[in-house]
Amino acid sequence: MRKTWLGTAAILSLAAGLAAPILYFLGVFSEPRFKLVLLVASAGWFVFATLWSGARKEPR
Amino acid sequence: MAKKPFASVAARMDKLYEFDREPVSPDKLQSGARFAGLFAGEHVAATEFVIGAFFVLHGVTANDLLLGLAAGNLLAVLSWTFVCAPIAVRTRLTLYWYLRRIAGPGGTWIYNIANAVLYCILAGAMISVSATAVGLGFGLKVPSLDAVLPASAGWVILVSFIGALFTAMAILGFEKLSRFAQVCSPWILLIFVAGAIAMLSRLGVEKNLANIWEVATTRVWNGLPAPGQEKFGLWHVLFFAWFCNLAMHISLSDMAIFRYARKWTYGLYSAFGMYPGHMLAWLCSGIMVAAVGREMNPGLMAFEAAGLAGVAGVLFAGWTTANPTLYRAGLALQTLTPNWPRWKVTLTAGVITTVLSCFPVFFVRLLDYVAIYGLVLMPMGAVVFAEHWLFPVFRIEQYRTEKEGRVFNWRALGVWAGTLGICALLPLHLYFRWLPGYFIALISYVALSAARRKRHA
Repeated sequence: MRKTWLGTAAILSLAAGLAAPILYFLGVFSEPRFKLVLLVASAGWFVFATLWSGARKEPR
Repeated sequence: MAKKPFASVAARMDKLYEFDREPVSPDKLQSGARFAGLFAGEHVAATEFVIGAFFVLHGVTANDLLLGLAAGNLLAVLSWTFVCAPIAVRTRLTLYWYLRRIAGPGGTWIYNIANAVLYCILAGAMISVSATAVGLGFGLKVPSLDAVLPASAGWVILVSFIGALFTAMAILGFEKLSRFAQVCSPWILLIFVAGAIAMLSRLGVEKNLANIWEVATTRVWNGLPAPGQEKFGLWHVLFFAWFCNLAMHISLSDMAIFRYARKWTYGLYSAFGMYPGHMLAWLCSGIMVAAVGREMNPGLMAFEAAGLAGVAGVLFAGWTTANPTLYRAGLALQTLTPNWPRWKVTLTAGVITTVLSCFPVFFVRLLDYVAIYGLVLMPMGAVVFAEHWLFPVFRIEQYRTEKEGRVFNWRALGVWAGTLGICALLPLHLYFRWLPGYFIALISYVALSAARRKRHA
């Protein structure tokens, strides 16, 4: 269960990182906001993906 | 006289690679998804920030780039599928052990040393790319495109610091860093894509993308080379995409991976690395460099495009790819100093790499270096291919060097040196020399071996 949540959070972080430049390109985000969202999404990816990859190695 | 001490070096060298000496057993074979993941993770490196940007500086047109990358990467995938994977699946051995049977322990030793030096230069280029990111914070000037020697003390200090840091990390936690690299790779691809999308508006692309092709052909890949840069066309791009990983497919280094494949067709999974890493990422870095006024500064490019996340992307891409490269260089160098512990060998590889990274020539001439890297190792790939597939066809006895217990296969070494000598003289662009060179190596090795058979008959 924990593994599923961590995986979902990691993928959502990556999706947020991809959505930010698209929204900036479309004029929805300002440049500072896009860069901030990308940075936060990147941090989210590293936290969740690291935990996710650790969880995958847990014995069943 | 010399044979005996060398035999003991060879025995100690074998011990280093002992863990993968036996052919892979059927229960260890891996699924296709594992191969797709492995390739996807391995081929988005720091150098992608430089290579894609260089195509813009070399005045490649958009049509030539798209066609060249599509076809060149397809040829690379087919090379993995039809050249590397079948031999790996049939032998279930790494190149080291298979080459040992063919070229002898002495020949393998020389090959290893050449490989170590080439790995150190490659890791050095990655350190230089990372330095452009860290250097932003100190206002450090990136070397010019014709630079050979370090232009400033600041550059030397910075790359030495980064080199020392990367080496220390590789010594302290290679395994952990490898896991970190796996986590990094999808994110690094995200940074490429995010940076390129963000730069579209700066280049004048409309929100409905109506003029994207016009912008691509006039402002990005407009066919105009930067001052002092050679003009590249379709064939340069195609051949570059094909030989970029020549050491891995045609020169068979990836036998280490494909020996775990259930079928040789798993070579097709290399497309999962080629098209995102060597097509999408190169297109993205091309867009980014065009948007920053065609300045070859990966750190600045990524910062302008994606902010601090972009800087981190360049730094992490350099770090995570320099780490396994340092490890491989260390492993190859350990053949020179078999009694040294792992940390000492990695330190030596790190020091060599750091010294090399001070010289910007390897970073600003990265495309040429990649060509030379592939070219140098290619003849031995041809020797292995000939011995594996062509010897049975021509009824030449295989693995004579191993059967006769010889340390060196002089025919293989002669073909290696001779092919490189001929390639150096060929009146062709550097990028195109490896292909005739490959056939020269194949034919001459078969001919020399056939002549020997006749002499002995």
